[in-house]
Amino acid sequence: MKGNIVGHSVPKVDAKAKVTGKALYATDLYMEDMLYMQVLRAPYAHAVIRKIDLAQALAVPGIVRIITKEDLPGLKNHGLIFKDQPALVGIGEKVRFTGDTLAIVIGESNIQVRKAIKKIKVEYDKLEVITDPLRAMEEDAVTIHTAGNIVCTHKLDKGDIVRGFMEADLIVYNEFKTQHVEHITLQPDAGLATLEEDDTICIWAATQWLHDTRVDVAQAMGLPVEKIRIIQPAIGGAFGKREDIIAQLHLAIAVREVKRPVKTIYSREESIIATSKRHPMIFRFRTGVKKDGTLTAWEATVIGDTGAYASSGPAVVHKGLYHCTGPYDCPNVRGVAYTVYTNNTYAGAMRGFGATQTAFAYESQMDIIAEKLGINPIELRLKNAYQVGSTTPNGQKLYASVGVKETIIKAVEAFERLGGVIR
Amino acid sequence: MGDNRLMIKVTVNDRLYELQVDPELRLVDLLRDELGLTGTKEGCGKGECGACTIIMNGKTVNSCMVLAFQADGSEILTIEGMGDGEELHPIQEAFIRQGAVQCGYCTPGMVLSAKAILDKNPNPSEEEIRKGISGNLCRCTGYQKIVDAIKDAAEVMGGGGDER
Repeated sequence: MKGNIVGHSVPKVDAKAKVTGKALYATDLYMEDMLYMQVLRAPYAHAVIRKIDLAQALAVPGIVRIITKEDLPGLKNHGLIFKDQPALVGIGEKVRFTGDTLAIVIGESNIQVRKAIKKIKVEYDKLEVITDPLRAMEEDAVTIHTAGNIVCTHKLDKGDIVRGFMEADLIVYNEFKTQHVEHITLQPDAGLATLEEDDTICIWAATQWLHDTRVDVAQAMGLPVEKIRIIQPAIGGAFGKREDIIAQLHLAIAVREVKRPVKTIYSREESIIATSKRHPMIFRFRTGVKKDGTLTAWEATVIGDTGAYASSGPAVVHKGLYHCTGPYDCPNVRGVAYTVYTNNTYAGAMRGFGATQTAFAYESQMDIIAEKLGINPIELRLKNAYQVGSTTPNGQKLYASVGVKETIIKAVEAFERLGGVIR
Repeated sequence: MGDNRLMIKVTVNDRLYELQVDPELRLVDLLRDELGLTGTKEGCGKGECGACTIIMNGKTVNSCMVLAFQADGSEILTIEGMGDGEELHPIQEAFIRQGAVQCGYCTPGMVLSAKAILDKNPNPSEEEIRKGISGNLCRCTGYQKIVDAIKDAAEVMGGGGDER
């Protein structure tokens, strides 16, 4: 189909601004009378805060204001799915990972602010630090959140798993693990906030979900939504990381207190410590298969480490389970997924949203099955690949546009064309 | 700050500046915070990502790894100095034409690295191009299109080298 637009290459709308360096990212915003903000992060991954001493930090020249939870007793938690994440942790409260915030420091220059942060003294009582989701799931593990360490559980049940295993000639069990992945958006996290004459807070920051961020900032601060404006500058990469609130809430709190424009730029290290990651996941797959390679049963346990806060975890780990058989049709599937809190940096959305991790596991499982059966791995895949009429593990019937077999064939052709040899 | 400031002379995009700089000030901060040239980006502050690439005395450098006073007497080209007023440089045009711009945060550094490659060799091989941009990270995974854009620019420039 060719029209005036469809079927034509159109230059990206902001390409000229970007090749000339004129595009403004949050890092590039400057204002008259602007102050700089940085935050003090938690001194330990799991601890109860006993004392925050600001005296020496307040004496650093140029420091305008230091805000702690004690200044904002009404501040509510935020979060994309569950409101479990505090913008500030106060006295007697818990830090749950090293990215939690204890104080917002605002000053005339970034150098002064960084100097002041180093002079804040914190006293705390250490708790067991849980970095392994399997430990978090044990009965005697300390609870990171009051409701327990399992955020949520999802289940799958398709066909008759017992019959599926009885029909199998071979049953293959394996465990697969993936690791944290950092998005490394090339633009560091940054933002600028201003307070308008009518007390509306304007925030310029890279944000993927402007409307959710706006509502969440408003509810956390107890303000009407109309009093928060989020303005999107150019974004130097996001890849899912910027679905979560990053600096927006701290900027909003800061600007309301100091009533002058406030800017922040995270260092790369801070961004790695404090912002979302791809979930590490554990997959336990028990797969039943006939001698000819036909899949008969697929049992899956998925454990996703969502870190200190849920973020998008419940949806990401859920997706990891729903994609457990990949693009392969299996009549009998049973599965369970656990989204688990640990004291690691929280994990959220990242390119593929759970499906990426699972792909590593089910494709490895298929290769292992092919080897055990002595079948060519491509043949095994083609034999089981989705086609029109197939049903996914969560019962979705595929009516149209199922290109996986064609894709496999074309990929093999391309591989051979480039000199690859299929054993 | 203030007492031990150093006097430097530096030419940026053909304009001579005489400036007093703090001895700890980095070149990237001088360009961005003091001269308002925010086209130079900072991505890591460690010389790893290349977002802050500029051309200093004909060579690409990471401006986060150079102190401002070290630039005394030097001639610097930043992204703002590419092209001629409203006219884009052929490398910039090729980046747009080939769709080599995604989030754009690596783009200024990439364009300057591309210029350094073509200044040195107006007709580079693909390997030379890839080597030439190996210090510039793109997280949107747009390398192929960036390589295509540099080849395209080389062709358009007819092996003519610098025509800034």
